[in-house]
Amino acid sequence: MNRVSRREALMGLSALGIGLLSPSRAIAQTKARLVVVGGGFGGASAARMLKVLLPNSQVTLIEQNETYTACPFSNLVVSGERALGQQVFRYDALPRMGIDIITDRASGVDAANKTVSLENGSDVPFDRLILSPGIDFRWGALEGYDQTSTQAMPHAWKAGEQTLRLRAQLREMQDGGTVVMSVPAAPFRCPPGPYERASLIAHYLKINKPKSKLLILDAKDNFSKQPLFQQAWKQLYGGTLEWRGASDDGRVSRIDAEAMTLETDFETFQANVANVIPPQQAGAIAATAGVANETGWCPVNPVTFQSTLQSDIHVIGDAIIAAPMPKSAFSANLQAKVCATQIARLLAGLAPAPTTLVNTCYSFVSPNSAVSISGVYKNDGEFNSIEGAGGLSRLSPADGDRAREANQARDWFAAITQEAFG
Amino acid sequence: MYPKYLSFGFSLLALGACSNDAPQAISSSDALSGAALLSASCSGCHMKGNEALVDLSERSAEQIEVSVLAYKRDASGQTVMHRLARGYSETEIAEIAAFLAAEPTGERDE
Repeated sequence: MNRVSRREALMGLSALGIGLLSPSRAIAQTKARLVVVGGGFGGASAARMLKVLLPNSQVTLIEQNETYTACPFSNLVVSGERALGQQVFRYDALPRMGIDIITDRASGVDAANKTVSLENGSDVPFDRLILSPGIDFRWGALEGYDQTSTQAMPHAWKAGEQTLRLRAQLREMQDGGTVVMSVPAAPFRCPPGPYERASLIAHYLKINKPKSKLLILDAKDNFSKQPLFQQAWKQLYGGTLEWRGASDDGRVSRIDAEAMTLETDFETFQANVANVIPPQQAGAIAATAGVANETGWCPVNPVTFQSTLQSDIHVIGDAIIAAPMPKSAFSANLQAKVCATQIARLLAGLAPAPTTLVNTCYSFVSPNSAVSISGVYKNDGEFNSIEGAGGLSRLSPADGDRAREANQARDWFAAITQEAFG
Repeated sequence: MYPKYLSFGFSLLALGACSNDAPQAISSSDALSGAALLSASCSGCHMKGNEALVDLSERSAEQIEVSVLAYKRDASGQTVMHRLARGYSETEIAEIAAFLAAEPTGERDE
């Protein structure tokens, strides 16, 4: 690599730690073909980290979209605080580092012959493969909710057109209308996400449509950051927002998108705007590649992120079974960096090394106040929370705590997107 | 000019010299070391230029270590860093601080 291109590459990775890694001679010489499928927080970070650690390897990112639309912070788009364009990231920094990008859909993986097949008919050979496929929806798991229903009742759980659709429906709704959210059972992408969204929708209604109501129908009785959200709801959105858990007949069992109704075991709710977050599973390529088990998610070795079902394939991000580590952008990015480092170790003939991982998720409870959850995990043998570490923001905050965490959330988004996309 | 923590790579030992050794023989400044793995958790937040999440780029190893240890030892604190620091031993905190702040000693871009 010449000076200029290396500088560019490294400046792109200006976040802490993965900036100017200068790999040693042995691993620098590997010509391994390293293929990453999926250009989200996990896949883009993984491709970049692999290229930094193994500059002579051939790193290829296969991603079907030309740009990435980020889910974190997209609830602020739903409530009108933020433009969707602020969520869109390009992959330009990756080719500048020497990463090959294939803009196509990976349609299959032949684990025995070590190739990824593309929708255009060609095959991409690999020595090691990282799948970062994110989530797909389990169409049919919620009776009546299919791809067609997403027009009338958007999920907005993959950011983009769906996010704008939900925002437009909220804007068009008359004051006095009812917004209904349906939240699935765990596991799903971004455990606190539905409740952040509820908070921000309630904020929008309170300001713009004060006679309106938001009803959250939940398939669970307990959820992420529950005491913090419920405190904020009581303080800020008392007359606007109502949450119903599973044991209060909150679990939605059937949907009728034409009639705009959501049914629980004992009641039918009429909605003016309905946001249905469907049950989920690992992105489709995971099942095709044989790395998803009967749960629809991917079991992995927690140290190397190698699939326990296909050892030449690593899987990271929302698709994997890593509880108590959550399905978050933070987790996906960190798993990417750790996975890439372990691959470099394996290629250098070094044993995989267990480590400590963390997660932090901020959630906005109003446009300028946020709460957070953190966890610290050991991955030796299985993922385990370290006792005494992690936890929630203080329930009785000191002055400015919530605003401070909102500022931290903004800094986090800037850092994580720069690390992933440059 | 690069901040110190971005430049640690230039001080790496050549792994070629020790690639047949046991993993523990790898220098703590190495990109594949245990310290590197531990430190991977920091970079998702602490970006150069950030303010609410501290920019560590001009901090020495000692400053980072003292600061994280203070979080760990403050039993009543509940900021994100208090909650995270409790998950690490004092040795791990020292390793992370040294890794993040390592000075460049070799080749350097002008």
